[in-house]
Amino acid sequence: MSKHYSEEDLVLYYYEDGPRRAEVQQHLDACEPCTVAYRELTATLKSVTAPEAPERGDQYGLEVWQRIRHRLPEQEMPWWSVWLRADRLALAGAFSVLLVAAFVAGRWWSAGTVPAPAVASVAPAPAAPGAAGDDGRRRILLTSVADHLDRSERVLTDIMNTTGASDISTEQGWAEDLINTSRLYRQDAADAGEQSVALVLEELERSLLEIVHTPSRATAARLDEIRRRIDAASLLFKVRVLGSELRQRQTQGQDAPRPRALSTHIS
Amino acid sequence: MDATDVAAAIARARQGDSEAFQSLVERHSRRAFQLAYRITGNEQDAEDVVQESFIRAYRQLSRFEARAHFSTWLHRIVANCSVDLIRSRRVRYEHASTDDLGPAEQPESGGADPERLAASAQIERKVSAAMSELSPLERAAFTLRHYEGRSIAEIGKTLGLGTSATKHSVFRAVRKLRAALEPLRGES
Repeated sequence: MSKHYSEEDLVLYYYEDGPRRAEVQQHLDACEPCTVAYRELTATLKSVTAPEAPERGDQYGLEVWQRIRHRLPEQEMPWWSVWLRADRLALAGAFSVLLVAAFVAGRWWSAGTVPAPAVASVAPAPAAPGAAGDDGRRRILLTSVADHLDRSERVLTDIMNTTGASDISTEQGWAEDLINTSRLYRQDAADAGEQSVALVLEELERSLLEIVHTPSRATAARLDEIRRRIDAASLLFKVRVLGSELRQRQTQGQDAPRPRALSTHIS
Repeated sequence: MDATDVAAAIARARQGDSEAFQSLVERHSRRAFQLAYRITGNEQDAEDVVQESFIRAYRQLSRFEARAHFSTWLHRIVANCSVDLIRSRRVRYEHASTDDLGPAEQPESGGADPERLAASAQIERKVSAAMSELSPLERAAFTLRHYEGRSIAEIGKTLGLGTSATKHSVFRAVRKLRAALEPLRGES
């Protein structure tokens, strides 16, 4: 007969939280003292029923709203909303028009001054030996980086959603795993000439390191500090945009010419 | 209101649209009250917790990420607000008399066996008194595990505790409740 189970083991068993449930069950079937102890525990816990909360009517939500509506603080606007102000939108619009005009003018000017075969402007240059292999490697890299960004986004999102002091040991475990991978991808991206990818990965690494090096039972102030830095670097946004851009490049595949680098608006 | 509507309401509320936040308050208030009541064991305290929770949620809305569930996020806020409130009113809880035990004092419905009802009311009073002796974290952890059916991992995440600390909060709560109910076992 194996040793008897403690009250803690039996509590976990009752709540179906403990490991080796089959083992405990087997023991209970054979051990009289443990069976009696478990029966007593069960009888007590079953007698503890949830207190019935006083009824709240259908209008309760509205009542709560009426009580709090004048106490709501000023909403902290997210960083990007600053760009949605009408004057800034107008400025951005004007800038975009100028940019498009400059691009069209540039295309027209170069087409007029440097005649080139039409095919040269849309088709890639004749492939050098090994170019197909390079493209294949690049596609694999971009797919891996996109997956890596998805995983990183989940960690960052969890950190952004914590409230008050929290145990972030789970997020730290994930972040630690991601750091090493991130370094490798950053190096590969730099070697492949994907500078904007490398830059975002570098920023991501810094945040992941900060998360890993924070005490697991992080204070509210410490978490606030991390969140502020993530916010200030617009990191979550960059990770999302880069992820979706890489996925877009994968789906476009061979049909569209591959840009040499990612758009700079996120770097 | 489905998940898309909730997400849209959150997005609008973040922009300062109070009507959008109102729709979230109206949708989640009753559930928030139920949880707050179970943890605090007091109607007025539960009311305070609900209001404070929504104010906290509104203040922190910019940190909420759309991938998470608003109800889960709010659940965490309500649990932590309840713990904070119990801590701040600890003195009152410690001196609460059994005359002020809330649910146990509810009028009993007719038709049931009077002896059984009396025994049940006695258990409720004992449980309520024992619950008021628990520390705020023990009380919250036990409520989330026993009444709400949350896993140890979820409770730890909600209350900002490690797995071991969460388990021990539940163990201590169970031990105290058993000790409080022990005399009744002899009577039955």
